[in-house]
Amino acid sequence: MRFDTVIMGGGLAGMIAGIALQQAGKNTAIVSMGQNALHFFSGTFESLKEPDERLAALFSAAGIRVHYREGVRLMPLGTFKKAALSLEDIDIFPNAKIARRVLIVNFLGYHDFFSSFLAEGLEKHGIECRIRFLSLPDLDNTKAHGEMRSVQIARSMDRIWEKVVQEIRLMLRDEDTVVLPQVFGLSDTTVPGRIRQSLPARVVFAGTMPPSVPGIRTQIQLRRRYQLLGGTFLMGDEAIRAHEHEGVVHSIATNNLDAHYLEADSFILATGGLFSKGLRSNPFQISEPILGLDVDHPENRNNWYNPAFAEEQPYMGYGVKTDAQLHAVKEGVTLKNVYAIGSILGNTRPELGSGAGLAINSAFAVVDTLLAEK
Amino acid sequence: MNPNEFDVIIIGGGITGAGTQRDCAMRGLRTLLIERSDIATGATGRNHGLLHSGARYAVNDAESAEECIRENMILRRIAAHCIDETDGLFITLPEDDLGYQQTFVDACKKAGIGAEIIDPELAKRLEPSVNPDLIGAVKVPDGSVDPFRLCAANMLDAKLHGGQVRLHTEVTGFIREGDTIKGVHTLNHQTGEETDYYAPITVNSCGIWGQHIAELAGVRVGMFPAKGALLIFAHRVNNMVINRCRKPSNADILVPGDTVCVIGTTSTRIPFEECDNVAVTPDEVTLLITEGAKLAPSLSETRILRAYAGVRPLVSADDDPSGRNISRGIVCLDHEERDGLKGFITITGGKLMTYRLMAEIATDLVCRKLAVNKACTTAETPLPGSEEKSYEAVAQKVWESPTTAQKAAASRMGTRASRIRSANRRDDDLICECEEVSVGEINAAIDRMDVSTLTDLRRRTRVGMGTCQGEFCACRAAGLLAKAHGCVERERKDLADFLQERWKGNFPIGWGDTLREAEYTQWIYKHVLGL
Amino acid sequence: MKLQEYTTSAHNFEECMKCTVCTAYCPVLQVNPLYPGPKQAGPDGERLRLKDPYFFNYALKYCLNCKRCEVACPSGVKVADLIQSARIKYDTHPPKLRDQMLASTDFMGKLARPFAPIVNAVTDLGVTKKTLDMVLDIDHRRTFPKYSGRSFEGWLKRRSKEQAAFPEQVAYFHGCYVNYNYPQLGKDLVKVLNALGVGVQLLDDEKCCGIAMIANGMAREAAKHAQHNVDVLGKAVSRGLKVVTTSSTCTLTMRDEYPELLKVDNSAVRDSLLMATRFIYEKLEQGATLKFRADYHKKVAYHTPCHLEKLGWGVFSERLLRMIPGVEFTMLASNCCGMSGTYGFKKENYEASQAIGAPLFEQIKAVNPDVVACDCETCKWQIEMSTGYPVMNPISILAEALE
Repeated sequence: MRFDTVIMGGGLAGMIAGIALQQAGKNTAIVSMGQNALHFFSGTFESLKEPDERLAALFSAAGIRVHYREGVRLMPLGTFKKAALSLEDIDIFPNAKIARRVLIVNFLGYHDFFSSFLAEGLEKHGIECRIRFLSLPDLDNTKAHGEMRSVQIARSMDRIWEKVVQEIRLMLRDEDTVVLPQVFGLSDTTVPGRIRQSLPARVVFAGTMPPSVPGIRTQIQLRRRYQLLGGTFLMGDEAIRAHEHEGVVHSIATNNLDAHYLEADSFILATGGLFSKGLRSNPFQISEPILGLDVDHPENRNNWYNPAFAEEQPYMGYGVKTDAQLHAVKEGVTLKNVYAIGSILGNTRPELGSGAGLAINSAFAVVDTLLAEK
Repeated sequence: MNPNEFDVIIIGGGITGAGTQRDCAMRGLRTLLIERSDIATGATGRNHGLLHSGARYAVNDAESAEECIRENMILRRIAAHCIDETDGLFITLPEDDLGYQQTFVDACKKAGIGAEIIDPELAKRLEPSVNPDLIGAVKVPDGSVDPFRLCAANMLDAKLHGGQVRLHTEVTGFIREGDTIKGVHTLNHQTGEETDYYAPITVNSCGIWGQHIAELAGVRVGMFPAKGALLIFAHRVNNMVINRCRKPSNADILVPGDTVCVIGTTSTRIPFEECDNVAVTPDEVTLLITEGAKLAPSLSETRILRAYAGVRPLVSADDDPSGRNISRGIVCLDHEERDGLKGFITITGGKLMTYRLMAEIATDLVCRKLAVNKACTTAETPLPGSEEKSYEAVAQKVWESPTTAQKAAASRMGTRASRIRSANRRDDDLICECEEVSVGEINAAIDRMDVSTLTDLRRRTRVGMGTCQGEFCACRAAGLLAKAHGCVERERKDLADFLQERWKGNFPIGWGDTLREAEYTQWIYKHVLGL
Repeated sequence: MKLQEYTTSAHNFEECMKCTVCTAYCPVLQVNPLYPGPKQAGPDGERLRLKDPYFFNYALKYCLNCKRCEVACPSGVKVADLIQSARIKYDTHPPKLRDQMLASTDFMGKLARPFAPIVNAVTDLGVTKKTLDMVLDIDHRRTFPKYSGRSFEGWLKRRSKEQAAFPEQVAYFHGCYVNYNYPQLGKDLVKVLNALGVGVQLLDDEKCCGIAMIANGMAREAAKHAQHNVDVLGKAVSRGLKVVTTSSTCTLTMRDEYPELLKVDNSAVRDSLLMATRFIYEKLEQGATLKFRADYHKKVAYHTPCHLEKLGWGVFSERLLRMIPGVEFTMLASNCCGMSGTYGFKKENYEASQAIGAPLFEQIKAVNPDVVACDCETCKWQIEMSTGYPVMNPISILAEALE
């Protein structure tokens, strides 16, 4: 099967590249080994400043609502972190004094929303907090095996959010703000907004233990947009090998399509870091498994780690080597039509940012290069 | 009466201290156990968890072998819920001397250990993970024992017999009058409180740290700190203990324990000052995997969960640099006799396996000194939780049709699982998904078993001991602890400490899936949750 | 020396990072609180079962084996294989009579075919449905697939000479459904392949792929079928033939479930076994052409069956349909229909089955197509029953659109 560009990796980076190329009239395929890091997305596009018009247009066409303001956001464990470009679910405040009195509402039996940590964190900033638990039979009935996770709740919430709002109305005393877990708007994206409108207090959605409901929604929206633009999304497939000749890759083999190779003029590697298996490690080295690209890292394994968990971990910074235009490098030779984007770069390209910012910046950089070629 | 006065003070919350407290309490003594950290933080919790049949010692140390098999049989009776009767194999590989097998079996028989030479083909059927190249196999009554559970059960029983326990409390000095120890000065590390406790007898059962406690008391006990490194694999590769049938050496025991298996150990002499901070080196990891794969080849492809090391509390006897030839024998020192210091006893040496016997010996001495004439009953009385032999029976009795988490709770708590049967559905909420630990089980541990930190909780419930190493359950459990202790701020720090403690065991084996999981944990806690 | 260069375990459960993504995509977990979910039933449960088979949980039977967990898993863990293997290994309950009947698709087919009109009439009767419901726990709201009076095998045998005349040959694993219930799909395939200059041969006595047996606790019987089929396929392959199929589930079963679950080695035939859509697409890619009717017009909504999604071959069906000039194509968002073979027939699963499929049915109604395209026969029954829209295999649409 032949494409203009084949993208390996269906996370944020791969999807942005795919959508941008399809929009420009290119014929692309995305090979995605399972779901991706958007499922653990905090909701803030880290290291991204104000979105340029192109990103704003892309998001808006996909139905993804973002907002931009420099400030701080409330983290699930009650701390505050700097934030700028974020999904609309995420409130950004000028400072940590986000309210006078807060009602924190959790679901009884839901242990992935850390209400006591949130309260303690807010109280540090002189905010009075009250925690209340909602008990909903609908939730108990969907709960399997003692496990209650964000997505399970979110599925019910699309149906019963109004009931939740009613209950909260009864709970509210003189609080000016209600803090709720981010379990709303998984399929019906209007729900968070409608909750905000129907309560007489400000509503702040605080994150939960992953999977991230806003993250999953974003992934669904991006994929839908990509497919609507005619992109071929090969879900659950994995690129296993590339066929290269004199610095040019002409096709890749995938796990599912075995002898049916995917051919293309260019290839984008967006397979992620260690977690996503874009990079692999054994006791002796960290490597890139599909093309065998060069990965810069110290030989002695002892140097890969910082023994202090809280400190920056060197291994998280390792990534594949690229040239200025993000062409990948194999055994010192630059591959002419292979590009690396997203977290597989580690922090080898700090000027492109990190996390979601790196994914988006590097994706657009490569799209620009590709579109300028012809 | 002064509430800080006891008949006997026991220093050290390892298995020897816990066992001694239980024995003393069951003989009617008013006991206090003081531990500077948590239960089983020294050698007790840092070994294979092997329920020795004694076979390993049979050839070189007949006395230890006999002690082992006797205690092995006793523990099967009194500690059912801490023990897995797996049986063990001693295998001979092509590079080993098959002639040793007969010497070995003869020595076992002499020590009273039921050792049976079996056909290697049968061995492969009994234990499919075993190295298929084996040329000889002997079946012995080895098993596995959960040292945390065993230690906690002993301490719990001591408490049920009126004993008191002060964890996270360090002995900072002794109250000495003339040639007699009258009590101890302590410092509680969590509250900062300093308290004096009094008793006519103090037992030093601090394992390797006994040397330091003895110094505080003004006497010298020379210990021989020998570090042993071990690796935990992420699932049970083997269901029988696998040993090498040769002279004991490095990394030649693979023990299945609960949901994991453990390979060990190495033996390196270390300076006493390093006892508090032993680290596993990459060379040790390589050696453990290489040697381990000779027992069960699949180990070379099995995910490793963590690396850890313990320090054997051997009492120095000769100049052997490896520490391997020292008898694992029990040493009970009456410092009155030895050093002219009254009211002070040291019980050390020995093994996890022989803790009960050590406790009996120490308690006999305590009783003699206090002129108490009571016989030891610890060999006959089941520990709390061990009144029923199988956890299947327990689970069925408590719940009729138990869920997976309830089955798991029964396997960990034994008959005490009945305490977590509850009409409150909330108690069935799952906190640790890898090991299936429910809210009810965690609250039961917090209520009854002196839990102050997440790490303490882990030792009592296996929370955070599974594949994700606490990535998901730590936060959830922290919520419960914060509620129980009424303090979130402390819990925030505790959570950070817990993650640090997990990482300490992860990075020495930080590659493959372990490193993936570590990266994920970093991401979640720093970027998503904002710790 | 191997020193942890790779870490592998059976069905690689140790690669599970506990990220819980699989549970977010499990269709059963959303509707059945008795089901522990793929993560617990799969990798988590596996560690416990390795400790003691006592930890086997009978609720694993609620797993549909739709493989959505495997498609979603970012770590590539074979979650569904873990669950199904555990059922095979540890489930000691003998299958119920009903399950045995539902599982024995080819046996029932052989039995019913000669009496097709009678059987069809009888199974359609309200009283029969009630009886099946009461006696056998087969839900009365279900309609049994009709049995065809003449088998596909007989039809093709009568044409073996004319088929042999084509310059290129292919063997066809038609499966029970085409043979006993819906020979038309087989005929459609023959039409399309003939148009490409390819003649179609029967295999030498194929048997049911065995998926229904696996699902109903009859793994040993399934393994016998598997071995038989591998041998039969092997004969065709050794004659240099590719083997094509029109059922995504039969294909997945023979390619992946045989080695993974039934431990039947299929390495000699695996690569030669293809969905007909892939075979046809590849022929066209190599330069062959099909001529389509100029007057053909159809609004087609394509539903990717779960097992085709797992195979990763939905793209071939999609591309073929998009290739037909008169087709107005809509890709339906990925969602299990809820039927999952024999699962939906069981009375205890009816509600769950319909709830799982509901978002798909709503989507179809919103698109309002002329026809739903789908490569799976049980999806077809479910979608037709639940939405009233006709469902056609992409092959049949191709055949219909041919000049």
